[in-house]
Amino acid sequence: MLYVVFYFQVHQPVRLRHVGVLDVGKNSNLFDDKLNGEVMRKVAEKCYLPTNRLLLDLIKKHEGRFQVSFSITGTAIEQFKLYSPETLDSFKELVDTGCVEILGETYYHSLAALYDTNEFLDQVALHRQLMKDEFGVQPCTFRNTELIYQDRISDLVYEIEGFTTILTEGVDRILQWRSPLFAYKNYAKRINLLLKYYKLSDDIAFRFSNRDWPEYPLTVDKFVNWIDHLTLDETQGRNLFLNLFMDYETFGEHQWAETGIFDFMMHFPAEVLKREHLAFTTPSQTQSLANYQQESLSFPDPVSWADEQRDLSAWVGNDMQTNAIETYWELLHKIKAKGDPELLRIARLLSTSDHFYYMCTKYFQDGDVHKYFSPYDSPDQAYIYFINALADLEERLH
Amino acid sequence: MKVLMFTWEFPPLISGGLAMACYGMVKALLALGIKIDLVLPTRELVYFPLREVSDVDTLPTVFLDPVQQKEYTRHSFQTVQERMEYIGVTDSPETYYQLQDMRQLFEKVHTEFHSVEYENMDEQELWDTMTANLVGEEDLIQKVQEFTHRAQRFASELDYNLIHAHDWLTYPSGMLARKISGKPLVVHIHATEFDRAGGPGDDRIHKIEHSGMMYADRVMAVSQYTAQMIVSRYRIDTGKIRIVHNAFTVEGDEEDLSVKKRIFKDVMVLFLGRITIQKGPDYYLDVAERVLKTHPNTRFIMAGTGDMARKLLRRSAQLKLKNRFLFTGFLNRKQVEQILRAADIYVLPSVSEPFGISPLEAMAFGITSIISKQSGVSEVVNHAFKIDYWDVDLMADTINHLIENPELRHKMGVDGMKEVNLIQWSEAAEKVRKVYSEVLSAFLKSNT
Repeated sequence: MLYVVFYFQVHQPVRLRHVGVLDVGKNSNLFDDKLNGEVMRKVAEKCYLPTNRLLLDLIKKHEGRFQVSFSITGTAIEQFKLYSPETLDSFKELVDTGCVEILGETYYHSLAALYDTNEFLDQVALHRQLMKDEFGVQPCTFRNTELIYQDRISDLVYEIEGFTTILTEGVDRILQWRSPLFAYKNYAKRINLLLKYYKLSDDIAFRFSNRDWPEYPLTVDKFVNWIDHLTLDETQGRNLFLNLFMDYETFGEHQWAETGIFDFMMHFPAEVLKREHLAFTTPSQTQSLANYQQESLSFPDPVSWADEQRDLSAWVGNDMQTNAIETYWELLHKIKAKGDPELLRIARLLSTSDHFYYMCTKYFQDGDVHKYFSPYDSPDQAYIYFINALADLEERLH
Repeated sequence: MKVLMFTWEFPPLISGGLAMACYGMVKALLALGIKIDLVLPTRELVYFPLREVSDVDTLPTVFLDPVQQKEYTRHSFQTVQERMEYIGVTDSPETYYQLQDMRQLFEKVHTEFHSVEYENMDEQELWDTMTANLVGEEDLIQKVQEFTHRAQRFASELDYNLIHAHDWLTYPSGMLARKISGKPLVVHIHATEFDRAGGPGDDRIHKIEHSGMMYADRVMAVSQYTAQMIVSRYRIDTGKIRIVHNAFTVEGDEEDLSVKKRIFKDVMVLFLGRITIQKGPDYYLDVAERVLKTHPNTRFIMAGTGDMARKLLRRSAQLKLKNRFLFTGFLNRKQVEQILRAADIYVLPSVSEPFGISPLEAMAFGITSIISKQSGVSEVVNHAFKIDYWDVDLMADTINHLIENPELRHKMGVDGMKEVNLIQWSEAAEKVRKVYSEVLSAFLKSNT
């Protein structure tokens, strides 16, 4: 059998407003509530609500045979509550079907795993509590921010009671000749490892509406045939897992409704289920379905699902990012020591990886997008606001 | 006495110190009873007949075109800003139309306005140099061409005793007005291309600067420092040069500006100005790096915008100056005052600063100041540390010393404030009037 494993990432950062030097020490709100509200309402309308409705229909129609998993960040849930409570309700409705697995991650979608073990454990615990409160479930599959993973992260996750599976990227330089279709174990053979099948995942997430792509348009028929072909090489009867991992915002946001992405998703499960050697499952069930000795895979250096490089360079690839991130973690340490819960809450909102992603310069030619007066148009502006915000938090410590 | 004055900046049209200098000077000249017809790079073809002191803020406006003028007078405006938008005064000069060919313009000028082509070969050479160098595809050159093209109408339609042009951008206009009217020309040097470029700079601009100064009856320099440069680099006759130092007059406010409104608990050091090579922002960054090694909690603020901002931002990150080196981006007038109220130490590390009003303003806020020896302002103040811009170690040591000795810092600040309060625009205006009188009496003598 080949099992299609869907995992959708649901995340919205709490974006900073244009924090200036003159805002420092004023105890003012550092976040752009207006923008955050607008984005949340827009994405809810274009993606979350229609896609949730579609998935709910599909789950009901296929009577338990269609299953998916979600990882929903704490910052997303907080903003559902503020700006789109109906979205949170619709996720709850999905979870209540029993066909939806909820994954665990850091509450703030942070890079804590790389910088501060204790903070990482704290944020995972906060997220776990939130999942329990909102959905009444205890996640047993872990996905780290942006699928960032390395051996030592598996050790941390293993030590948290209840996590049995971790998701990460099927990076070629790690897999080499191996196939991402098998379930693996971490380097210490203690935890189940699922690897994103990036080619087919990205066909949906990135290439679906690209008219320059030779395979355009992507039809359900064609896509399921490709999946079918993946099973041909397996002659020993081992169960395979096709891990289709992507941002949930793919549906209706990255790929607009007009591209036909909803039609695709509407017909995809039926086409898969028509074929008797294909099925759906969720990450936590894969371990018991793996009817073979799982090989261990070692990730000595961190990997992620970002960009061609699939490394950390999208967040810590330049001097601005490095200075910002190092200053942040040093400051967070002081803030935790101070013990002011509100200050810590605000500081943690700045741990979200997106803040550093905005400072990425990989794709900018020098001088190209340097517009000082339209903030967030340039990585430099993102850096300025972030560093100013850190200066403000530091003043609040006194 | 009535002056036709050309300048590129005047509030609300501001990009640097030129606007503040012109504002202060014009205001003080009006107080002396001198009438000024001011021409700015506006969208509409207008000039500003300034007669009363208060006119510098309201900017009464006249359209050259009578039909437009009639339409304009029918309009009622709620605010000055609204009126400024109507006549097209924005934050920085815009290009409103393009000239096809500069040569064509000057040929037309020759035939239409000159009864006598050239008085002598020297004059012809100056004109040829100026016109040959006022060419280029750059936005700024195009704007200057346009401004010059318009100047002929002001020159021929307005009535005035003499012409006063500020900086090279308006020298071609000043020359044209002198040629058309035969009235004496005073050019004012606020900065030369050598200052701005921090190196040799653009040769075309040197030529235009040189022609303007040669063609003028008097050359006013904002400092001894600048006067020396005019002599050594442009070979201008010292007999023609007059030094008029800029000033700074605190506006209105009765409040004690030296009472701090802090942003940071720790000492705040301030750079305030355009982030461009002339102002030495890279030396400031080097100083910050050194000081932060001794006093890691000091806050270094870089206030302003400019072509080097991005490079310095990236370098401050590379040096891992954490959140101790911060950039403000563009600040409006009110925000500048807020930042000055919060600062403890001001640094002007200019590579070449003809004058530098900004340190006077900082000192008026009671901020202890460190100013580059390569500046005109260092000629007029005593209660400030004067250090070579390249001596970053000495600057760092001085800042360290000031951080460690708050009483000394405070005393320097207060003494500096007292000193600056004595430097008034009225004194500068008196010197300008003297220059005006000189050229006018020479002009009358030669015409009788």
